[in-house]
Amino acid sequence: MEFDFTPVITYFPTLLQGLGVGLLVALVVAFMSIVGGLLVAVISVYVNKVVSWPLRFFIWLFMTTPLLLQLYFLYFGLGEWILIPAILVGILGLGFHYMAYNADIFIATIKAVSGGQYEASRSLGFGHIATIFYIIVPQALIRSIPQLGNNMILMVKDTSVLSAIGVAELVYASQYAISVTFRPFEFFIVIAVMYYVVNIFMELGQAWLERMTAYRR
Amino acid sequence: MDFNLMVEISPLLIKAAWITIDISVRSLFFGFFVACGLVFLQSFRFAPIRWFARGYISVIRGTPYFVQLLLVFYGGPSIGFRLDPITCGVFVGAFNIGAYMSEAIRGSIESVDSGQAEAARSLGFGRAQTLVSIVLPQAAALMIRSVGVLAIVVVKNSSLVSIISVVELTYQAQRLIGSTYKPLEIFTLTALIYIIIVYAVMGIIELAYRRAMRYTTL
Repeated sequence: MEFDFTPVITYFPTLLQGLGVGLLVALVVAFMSIVGGLLVAVISVYVNKVVSWPLRFFIWLFMTTPLLLQLYFLYFGLGEWILIPAILVGILGLGFHYMAYNADIFIATIKAVSGGQYEASRSLGFGHIATIFYIIVPQALIRSIPQLGNNMILMVKDTSVLSAIGVAELVYASQYAISVTFRPFEFFIVIAVMYYVVNIFMELGQAWLERMTAYRR
Repeated sequence: MDFNLMVEISPLLIKAAWITIDISVRSLFFGFFVACGLVFLQSFRFAPIRWFARGYISVIRGTPYFVQLLLVFYGGPSIGFRLDPITCGVFVGAFNIGAYMSEAIRGSIESVDSGQAEAARSLGFGRAQTLVSIVLPQAAALMIRSVGVLAIVVVKNSSLVSIISVVELTYQAQRLIGSTYKPLEIFTLTALIYIIIVYAVMGIIELAYRRAMRYTTL
């Protein structure tokens, strides 16, 4: 057992490229899952049961089944009708998965905020829609930050699973490099460190965001 | 929907589901001991031991489970650590969930009012005795809930073991989709099995929680 990290240095640009793709996917998924999750939550709290029950069913379905199964379903399922690149399937799959988790959080915080706030805002002359978007949603968003941050940290780690359907992110890049150099241990250790560094930055960011918004709660 | 196909393949999926359950149960069982060990290490007065436990928890929680699995399964042999796929799944699963679980256990112990421990100590209970007969019974209810959430995570994480060629539920589903080109039918059936497993776990947690509630003062 001797370690040789020189191949890792040779293939470091490939790894960085993979990391970049992974982070890019994570960024798009973060945007999609937060905006989508918020919409799903608002609709399922405020719109009638005909619309909100199917939405809740999908939240429930995405939360009780594993991500990998959902990805396989989307990848092979969508592949039957249209040919779309793996990276899009990955973004959609991860996006829907975390949209469900975020919606679940937003539903709880929206319910916690509304009540007194809703009535006060209506009595001051805001309409129903204006109350939801100017009064309820901003407060719910701020209250969701701690759990939302946790979810996003989990999501960045879950981008590694996308390699299973062939998205060229960090794990995929390292698997390629390993197939050429036969140095699995060294490469996987290095990418684990890379994920860990990203994770530390995300935790710092989350702590900062919580400090910045603490006075508003 | 092709119901004949669904009936035809369900025995295959149910057989694979047992592998999923087997891996999950064993990961949880060993993970619980890992977690208790980590909680124990964090109670040491000698700081480096505490740092080791904190560092371990931080690294495990800061890296993807998927990468840990690949590292041990494909990287392990080059340092003379060879495991068959299922054992590897259980091993990595246990050491992964142990880190999360130790935080859940520690959190529930800390949530018991410190006055309880102080009162017990002043009445002449030893440190270990205070923990076992005063603090733990009161922490149990909360602990069951937070460990229970992790039990569901373990079931869902077990799907990733398919990557190291264990034929569990997700891998079987993927193979069947590949051979039959009927993703909707197979997804429905597989999702149903996962939902049944998850609800069974939730039922067990709820029962245990109700029993533990008898001892709590929270």
